[in-house]
Amino acid sequence: MLVSEIYTPKTVEEAITVLSRYPDALIFAGGTDYLRDQADVEISFPREVLSVAGIPELRQVNLTERFLEIGAAVTLSEILELKENAVPSLLSDALRGVASPAIRNLATIGGNLASGSRFMDSWAVLACLDTLVEARDELGARWINVNRLVSPEGKPAIPKASLLTRIRIPIDPWDISAFKKIGPKNYPCPESAAFAFAARADKGIVSDFRLAFAGERALRLREIESRLLGMRLPLSQKDRKQIQSQYRATEDPLSPGLRLQFNALIDGALDLLSR
Amino acid sequence: MTISFILNGEDVTVGIRSGDRLAPILRHHFGLLGVQTDCLHGVCGRCLIFLNGSLVPSCMVPAFRARGGEIITIEGFSQTEEYRDIVDGFRQAGLETCGFCETGKILAAAALLEKRPRPVPEEILVAFSSVSCRCSDPDLLVKGVQAAAELRAGRLYRRARQ
Repeated sequence: MLVSEIYTPKTVEEAITVLSRYPDALIFAGGTDYLRDQADVEISFPREVLSVAGIPELRQVNLTERFLEIGAAVTLSEILELKENAVPSLLSDALRGVASPAIRNLATIGGNLASGSRFMDSWAVLACLDTLVEARDELGARWINVNRLVSPEGKPAIPKASLLTRIRIPIDPWDISAFKKIGPKNYPCPESAAFAFAARADKGIVSDFRLAFAGERALRLREIESRLLGMRLPLSQKDRKQIQSQYRATEDPLSPGLRLQFNALIDGALDLLSR
Repeated sequence: MTISFILNGEDVTVGIRSGDRLAPILRHHFGLLGVQTDCLHGVCGRCLIFLNGSLVPSCMVPAFRARGGEIITIEGFSQTEEYRDIVDGFRQAGLETCGFCETGKILAAAALLEKRPRPVPEEILVAFSSVSCRCSDPDLLVKGVQAAAELRAGRLYRRARQ
């Protein structure tokens, strides 16, 4: 068995120092995603493990009028326990659907975003809300839109040797929003995914529309979203069909099963706008 | 490596390997047989413990994460008045649990009552989703926790008046 070196930095700076020395180190916070795939009693770790759950800076929450800022090592339960209306309902709906309360006591928002294998439940919501993520490395800090944490192949892409430190969620008033999780609750699989959409109108005209879908791959089609802007509500049958067919015509990496569900969810979202 | 933590109120120190999970350390090193190592995926609820006040499946926690923390297992929790409230509440409601899930359900109820002293049925059923065993009638689970909540509230009221 490989004996791993466990690093437990007390500050983000110390963590970055370790990461710059060992860029392949496993960044470990809640660990629920990492351990989900391990069936043996002995956990198989890489040579270097960077345990970040105890870094106070990563455990802070800050609420302003414009955004909710959450430290990357804040657990999903802790987010759900924030005061009423502090958390966008889309996000709390998504987090309530993650596994069980005991797992949510371990799982962190940073880990939910940084899973390398697939997009986890919060991703679609955070992408839909145009959430910013602070990534820090030895060169400094930068804010990245969650939608950019995707490779050209549509897979998760977290910058190498970087530590996600803060998640900044804009607080915007939405007239309509919905979250839907597809597939088994406890075991993410190829046929599981999350869907989030939010829209608002100004004087009966669509002023903002966002829709994200994420499972093994992520999908957010800004071009179609922008075509909806300026359309009058309720959507006419013609507008509705036009948007529907554009979403259906996109070449995307969804499996046939997910494609059917995605189409149904799009129809549901457009139904809401057509009422 | 060696780690120290507080286990059921006592300071303890133990040597661990980097890949050790917490559940087998508690069970085999400390002889806490109420912590079972079953599914290893945090689903069955047989290894639930309180780690720094949060209910977690100890099979999903690497042992190194216990360093400097505080752990309460069913063995420690069974020495508390909260435990008595829950066991009596379950009994009053006629709720029976099996040997597979009893500790998990007691600890899940305790975690819920700590946060929601008067939980509604939906909150109760969500809390028990941390335990996979379905031996108990959901209606009786709700009644059992609500009875425990009454006992707990009464005890805390009497204490406050003393």
